[in-house]
Amino acid sequence: MTSTTLAVTDPRRERLAALGRRAGIRLAGGVLVLWAVATLTFFALRLMPGDPVLAILGGTTGNPSPEAIEAARQEFGLDKPLAVQYVLYLGRLLQGDLGMSYSQHLPVTRVLAEQGGATFELTVAALVLAWLLVLLLTVVTAGRGRLIGGVASLLETVSASLPHFWLGVVLLAVFAFGLRWFPPAGSDSLASLVLPAFSLAIPLAGFIAQVTRESLELTLEQPFVLTARTRGLSDLAVRFKHALRHALLPGVALSGWAIGALISGAVVCEVIFSRKGIGRQLYQAVQLQDLPLVIGISLVVAAGYVLANILVDLLYQWIDPRQQEAAA
Amino acid sequence: MNRPILPLIPLCAVLALVGCERAEQHTAQSTQPIHGGTLVYATDREPTCLDPHVAGDMPQVFVAQQYLDSLVSMDSHGQIGPWLASRWEVSADGLRYTFHLRRDVHFTDGTPFNAEAVKANLDHMANPKTQSSTAGGYIRQYRSTKVLDDYTAEVTLATPYAAFLEVLAQGFLGIQSPTALARSRDENCESPVGSGPFKVVRWDRQNQVELVRNPDYNWAPPTAQHQGPAYLARIVWKFIQEPSVRFASLQAGEVDVIEALPPESHEAARRNPDVDLIIAQRPGNPTNGTFNLRRAPFDDIRVREALVRSADVEGALKSVYFGEFPRSGGPLSVATPFYSGDFERSQDYDPARAAKLLDEAGWTSRDSEGYRTKGGQRLRAVVLIGARTPPSELTLWEQVQATTRQVGIELVLDQMSDAQVTSRQAAWDYDIRIGYWNTNTPDVLRIIFTSAFVQPAGVGGYHQNSSGYADTGFDALLDSALATQDAELRRQRYHLAQQQAAAQYLQLTTYPQSTRLGIYKTAHGVRLEPSLAVTYLYDAWVNK
Repeated sequence: MTSTTLAVTDPRRERLAALGRRAGIRLAGGVLVLWAVATLTFFALRLMPGDPVLAILGGTTGNPSPEAIEAARQEFGLDKPLAVQYVLYLGRLLQGDLGMSYSQHLPVTRVLAEQGGATFELTVAALVLAWLLVLLLTVVTAGRGRLIGGVASLLETVSASLPHFWLGVVLLAVFAFGLRWFPPAGSDSLASLVLPAFSLAIPLAGFIAQVTRESLELTLEQPFVLTARTRGLSDLAVRFKHALRHALLPGVALSGWAIGALISGAVVCEVIFSRKGIGRQLYQAVQLQDLPLVIGISLVVAAGYVLANILVDLLYQWIDPRQQEAAA
Repeated sequence: MNRPILPLIPLCAVLALVGCERAEQHTAQSTQPIHGGTLVYATDREPTCLDPHVAGDMPQVFVAQQYLDSLVSMDSHGQIGPWLASRWEVSADGLRYTFHLRRDVHFTDGTPFNAEAVKANLDHMANPKTQSSTAGGYIRQYRSTKVLDDYTAEVTLATPYAAFLEVLAQGFLGIQSPTALARSRDENCESPVGSGPFKVVRWDRQNQVELVRNPDYNWAPPTAQHQGPAYLARIVWKFIQEPSVRFASLQAGEVDVIEALPPESHEAARRNPDVDLIIAQRPGNPTNGTFNLRRAPFDDIRVREALVRSADVEGALKSVYFGEFPRSGGPLSVATPFYSGDFERSQDYDPARAAKLLDEAGWTSRDSEGYRTKGGQRLRAVVLIGARTPPSELTLWEQVQATTRQVGIELVLDQMSDAQVTSRQAAWDYDIRIGYWNTNTPDVLRIIFTSAFVQPAGVGGYHQNSSGYADTGFDALLDSALATQDAELRRQRYHLAQQQAAAQYLQLTTYPQSTRLGIYKTAHGVRLEPSLAVTYLYDAWVNK
């Protein structure tokens, strides 16, 4: 009976079930990834030479007294064996307690809540900006002959190879120090978002544009494009309405990876542009060996990465229903 | 028998001269102060806690100076004056300090300032739970406070401590509302409460601290240039880590004042008609590399002097800091009370003397790379370089490395994480340790060079005397300097102490720590509080 009902099930429901299974597997994998991240960061930081108590009380002019050292050691549970600390840590993690930051004396969750928004804003702005640049560059120039295509493709390769820190400094020098169009530092206004977003978006746009151009050029040679043209559609309409949808897939897949790249780039950009955010916080936390904060940020970044990839996976299927049929 | 010590005897002629030598210290003057307006201040490092009692790093005291008052004040000649305490007496044995307090002061949360508040503050600094490294460290002699009446507090110390009033003048020991101190440490870190000209309203981490004017303020110290509430309505205290970005923000007028002006920008700042500079040396032990006397090769005083003489610090300072940082040749920086200029030249570059000393010490043979050896061992010294050591400091040591090489000493610059530096320091596993100590008293020599501080401080093994120098005569000398309130006697004893520290070649001193402000044309009346050369915005105003 089951087999017969299955055979006549609404294909939409079946597709949704397949999608759900897929999401479930991906989520379980994501949890494993998060556990691995927590464990790796914990041991990597604890096995680093140096006493975390002194990191807690450190600071270039901080000169901890014996009483202060002892008090800090007890407060942060550092007097227990490493294995015990690990188990206690995992237990608290399961309850959603990320602990207290050594350096900020604040709950890690609160630090993340305060700083996460700015980084989210920056990465989303960069991603959107990157896609805008990609669309502008590729849709308009693909298949336009060797000269235009060559120049555009060279531009993409160069952009893709620009390091964030270098680009950030150049943008600062030109648009903040020189032309004074944008503020060189800060995180309060939209104007202060422009330069960091561009310094993240340009290299990313280079990467995505490279793959998008290649697939767009292949698409433009397909018979259905010719059909569309014979229906009297304008060139740009053909490119945006018909060809683009086919050509987007590799770029979308790459965007999942890009979330990770953007967050690592955000560390650099937030430091250079003195912006708030978890990237700069991570940079400082690592320097101070602020274990709970480093793990907390790593977990959030990893979770963001996992989620983004699941989303991209689903988006992929939405853009190209053929993918689902292959999966089902 | 109590002996009133107010007014304190003016320190000495040397100090008066020193006052003039505090290079380029001037106040941006303009006609009439304007009430109201916001001053935007940008600095490099963000404090980890706004309460300066906790831990005690320089960024904390800079913010604290705006919202806290101290029990006593210190002027630019190192003289102690009244503030929240209007007068005081010290017992003949130097163990009891009786403070008579102002009666018209209250904190910005409404709590009155009284003897109970003094007790609560000193107890708070001394309490191990506060994890106070700086303030707590400076009052280790503190035993208890007795509230004699509402406005009289008697503080008892375990041993005589003549530097007590000096350290009380530092912002690190600023007086906070006892009501606020009764909250948890972390809560107090976030929103501390003082009686100062401004109050902290919001700390937006990694971005800024906002302070607003305290409208009731009417108890400014005698060192201030006006009385009553501050001129500024609001201060935005921003954190901009990158030096070039900070300076560019100043030039663009995005911020009114920047701190830690990078030395490479001094020249540009001087040429910019819109920008003023305030540069002042900080008191204490200047930036240095301290030698570890507890192991070879620096257990031999000849090798220590040889390293000092082989290092061309002047040359290195010129090339790294563009001549903007002067040389410090003695154990105390110029701005320290009881500083003596007699030892400034004891570290002058003299490679011939270095070579002679090394020959005498038996480091006569050379290996294939040209370094001196003795008994098959190369003459080698390891310098610990932590991750947060500024790149310019590292470059300075690279220059020193190049000059010591010429007389055959190999300097190894060992780069590692800061935590690793602290643990190597704790294990005495280094030859040279880079450091400095900002404080407004020559008693710093006791902390960094006497045997009491060789002992590991707690389980971490961290010790504040990183030279390992332990000499009973020197210990006794510094204790005796604390046992007298007589300024002339103190001066003599600290002179002897500086002499001995210099003659022992315990450190290669390089340059004094300094406060360097860049001030845009919109800001006026910005000054430095003299005890630690900390920015003080009470007299400041903006014209935008």
